[in-house]
Amino acid sequence: MLISCNRLKKYIKNSEDIDFEKVWQTFTMKTAEVENVTLKGYDNKDVVTAKIVECKPHPESKKLSLLKVSDGEKEYDIVCGAPNVRVGLIGALVRVGGMVSGMEIKERRLAGYLSCGMMCAWDELGIGDDHSGILELNEDTPLGVELSDLYPIKDIIVEIDNKSLTNRPDLWGHYGIAREICAITNHELNELPILEVENNLEDLDIKIEEPKLCRRYCGIKVKNLKNNQTPIDMQIFLNYVGMRSINLFVDLTNFLMLELGQPMHAFDERVVKNIQVRLAKENDTYKTLDQTERTLKKDTLMITNGQNYFGIAGVMGGLDSEILDDTDSIFIESANFNAGSIRKTAIALGLRTEASARYEKSLDPNMCDLAIKRLLYLLKKENPNMTLASNLTDIYPEPIVEKEVILKKETIKRYTNISFSDTIVKNILEPLGFKVSVKSDAYHITVPTYRATKDISLDADIIEELVRIYGFDKLKEEPLQGTITPNVFENIWDNEYHVKRYLANAFNLHEIHSYIWYETDLLNKLGIIKENVKLLSSSKNNILRDDLSLSLLPIVKNNLKNYPQVDIMEIGTIIKDNQNEKHLSIIKACDEDTIFKTYQEAKRIVITLFKVMKNIQVKFIKGTFPSYYDPNKSQKIMVGNKEVGELKIFSSKCNQYIGKKKIAVAIDINFMEYLNIKKQNKVIKEISKYPVVSLDYTISTNLNTLYEDIEKILHGFTNSYIKELSFIDVFTKGENKNYTIRYIVGSDSKTLTSEELEKFKNKFIKYIEKNDLKIVS
Amino acid sequence: MQEKINELLKNVEKELATVTKEADILNIKSKYVGKKSEFNNLLSSLKDMSNEDKKIYGPLLNAKKKELEQLFSDKLSNLNNTANLDFDETLPVKITTGSLHPVTIVAKEVTDVLKRMGFTVLSGVEMEDDYHNFEALNIPKDHPARDMQDTYYLDNGLLLRTQTSGDQVHAMEKYQAPLKICSPGRVFRNEDIDASHENTFFQIEGMVIDENVKIENMFSVMKSVLEEVFKQDVKIRVRPGFFPFTEPSFEMDMSCLICGGKGCPTCKNSGWIELIPGGMVHPNVLKMSGIDPQKYTGFAFGIGLTRLAMMKYKISDIRYLNSGDIRFLENFEIE
Repeated sequence: MLISCNRLKKYIKNSEDIDFEKVWQTFTMKTAEVENVTLKGYDNKDVVTAKIVECKPHPESKKLSLLKVSDGEKEYDIVCGAPNVRVGLIGALVRVGGMVSGMEIKERRLAGYLSCGMMCAWDELGIGDDHSGILELNEDTPLGVELSDLYPIKDIIVEIDNKSLTNRPDLWGHYGIAREICAITNHELNELPILEVENNLEDLDIKIEEPKLCRRYCGIKVKNLKNNQTPIDMQIFLNYVGMRSINLFVDLTNFLMLELGQPMHAFDERVVKNIQVRLAKENDTYKTLDQTERTLKKDTLMITNGQNYFGIAGVMGGLDSEILDDTDSIFIESANFNAGSIRKTAIALGLRTEASARYEKSLDPNMCDLAIKRLLYLLKKENPNMTLASNLTDIYPEPIVEKEVILKKETIKRYTNISFSDTIVKNILEPLGFKVSVKSDAYHITVPTYRATKDISLDADIIEELVRIYGFDKLKEEPLQGTITPNVFENIWDNEYHVKRYLANAFNLHEIHSYIWYETDLLNKLGIIKENVKLLSSSKNNILRDDLSLSLLPIVKNNLKNYPQVDIMEIGTIIKDNQNEKHLSIIKACDEDTIFKTYQEAKRIVITLFKVMKNIQVKFIKGTFPSYYDPNKSQKIMVGNKEVGELKIFSSKCNQYIGKKKIAVAIDINFMEYLNIKKQNKVIKEISKYPVVSLDYTISTNLNTLYEDIEKILHGFTNSYIKELSFIDVFTKGENKNYTIRYIVGSDSKTLTSEELEKFKNKFIKYIEKNDLKIVS
Repeated sequence: MQEKINELLKNVEKELATVTKEADILNIKSKYVGKKSEFNNLLSSLKDMSNEDKKIYGPLLNAKKKELEQLFSDKLSNLNNTANLDFDETLPVKITTGSLHPVTIVAKEVTDVLKRMGFTVLSGVEMEDDYHNFEALNIPKDHPARDMQDTYYLDNGLLLRTQTSGDQVHAMEKYQAPLKICSPGRVFRNEDIDASHENTFFQIEGMVIDENVKIENMFSVMKSVLEEVFKQDVKIRVRPGFFPFTEPSFEMDMSCLICGGKGCPTCKNSGWIELIPGGMVHPNVLKMSGIDPQKYTGFAFGIGLTRLAMMKYKISDIRYLNSGDIRFLENFEIE
């Protein structure tokens, strides 16, 4: 929200004592975050009021005119392109050497004629966006006067972070900001001049059908409005705070919204005779002021006359009751609508307006009538002959009253070490609008309604007021007291960290972070259809992942552009069967021809991880996998009979996706299952005192035989001397596949004799031959 | 004779200079001083010499023999000190290490400080229900606070959590008071992504509930965390904030370390980074989770871990963090 300091000054007594460039640092520290402080109009120099005393068309140019302009002392030749030039017009002249919007004006030739200065348009002065003609000032404007002495062109414009005003409906207008500035700088707030309404005419016909959604509706009709011209200073103000000037009636409603925070609306009185606030009919359409056709819902609150819609309550008015050039009587609305309802409508229509933004904050209904009286006061200044055509009609079924909060002195002590005296409490709270009654052990505090609609209802809320105005920077840090409370123990986080650190250290994996949804492009390219939980608001990348490894493929693909081999891991959430699941995924991607090595490495990672972290030997078994994995080489990882994860190779389509001649292996471990596995106690095997012998055998099989088959047979050979059996190598020779295995044999009670060894060897060879296998050398 | 011996010595030195293996040295030795060597022939020839010659050549030959043997033994003992290897020790080596994500590293540092202060580290879930993400945090249905964080609602009626604050509620429900917990995790906001905005980022939640927990305690905890993570004096400011689940609420800002407080895109040109929002736990929040606000007070805070990591490592573009780009990630080798 933009705030004009010129405007604030009008509400604060002795405002000249305040440094309006610096006060915003304090405001940030005590009230709300200021994002920007900008000086406006300080880049104009030597811009004075001047009158056109002679005006001739340029002999060759249709657009240009040759002017003589007087600043009261001297006349200047000016070549000007504006269409509204005429003798007698008083405008803004920049003399040679002067500046507008930071640009220096020099003497120069324009289409053959010397121009000694410039007559300025609104936009050139930086006070508007109008470039249709030069600025026109009142006929009685004195000449040769600095424009900035007559109008509030030099200003300080402050941008306050809207987010930090969410809980402060009272700060959505300049007057509320001024109140806050007064409180933090110890100044006094001026009362706003208003027009008192006698209410000796007739009431308007105003009905509220939905009192829960429309808490209060004030309306009045005003006639005989001849002047619809907004004063220049108000136009400058509106422009500086980001609004366009339209005409006096509309500008005044906007001005009041910017001043008090109360959105208002002016209807053409010829169209709007009576008001009924009610809900729309589902799917009705309605054209708003911005010329857009809107589709309404059955919970959209509307301003109507019973038959026709006149506006979407709290959001935007309608085109058919808009103020026209010939409008001279208006119906002024100042109402209070339910925050939630307005918010819902604004979101549904995709139409967040200045009005809806304010209503969403829960405005104080008690300022509705004040806003009308204030508007009437300002309107009368420009239209002294205006007449009221109705009573100020006020439908307010359940007025809100000021509430009292009791703040015990002891409660303050529970929150902070600062000792607040009664005087400090009063000095802080009263300028903010609270009434404080001091009791021996408590303060009875009356909360102004503009703070009570949502912000302040509890003692803790008052403590916040005290501490923030007192100053957070005055609080002294104090270490937590060492209460001896046994802490609860959860170890998911620690385990995640340890596993990731181990994997990064031992296997050179890089931890990545990815998104919880699938990339739609990925699914499309791979022709994968995923039925899973979806995001409501997005149409792309909107399906939540149920397979962490699959979701990582785009990252694998991108990295393969820079590295021949990619080794990544993530512990991340997937959504499966409507539940959160945490999974560890490791992806190793490499060139096709090194797949065996990579696969072995992946398997080694799985086995080592479980061995080191859990002292458990995992097993791998066949299983079924989604179609984007290779069905032959993928395996389930088992701890006992429990499946804890998968070791997989992606399908050829996926591999083509990640890169030409690339292939990826995925390890996926259900991390919660992993956490549930108890670490097995380690029992240290005694080292044999007697020597052991290592015996290598190469067993020849046919090409289809897997190691698994050989292993089964080998496990059938039992002998008390066997200490260990391990796989050494495999190679293919002609029609045969040869496995080299190694036995470590020995005894715990003696050194084996060569006879005993020979006996072992013979037994083994016989066993192998019995199983239709052959030992080769 | 003299010449012959000198020449012999020269030859030995020459041959020894080129060899490095023990066997080669022994071969040379046997060639020059072995039984069938020339030198041995000279020695044997001594006995046939005249006494005069014997007197001259005897000592000479013996001295030279000693000299020769010294030569061989020196060479051999030199040889024993080396591993006798043959490679270029000046070749460079390639370093390959894995890496941890910068957010993981920073989260570890933060949880370590908090753990030392007695905090338990919890883990929440990313797909959360409305009650824990909003309702139980004093954020009713039509509260504009729900605007502040554009929420990813899901078609199963749940949502992707917008803040780790829901873990406060889980912790209170599970453990009641007193309580001292923190919970790092990932949160989601429906935002357009640019250099300083992400829709997926990390926070850590902290909560302490006990009798007589004060605002001052909270400041102390927050400052300790920042000092530990940045290992330097960081410039801090505390200003009012607004969160429905804390009252009073604060924002702790840190002077932007990327631009040194001058203003840059990361700090939105303000020179300050909003880093730790927090406050005293709202009495309604305590009540809703069954804790008596008359007996207990508490504070809660959230730290933007992603932002903290960006500040710590001077990462100027938030998009790197979820890019999975190893060129970026490999900077963060494990300490």
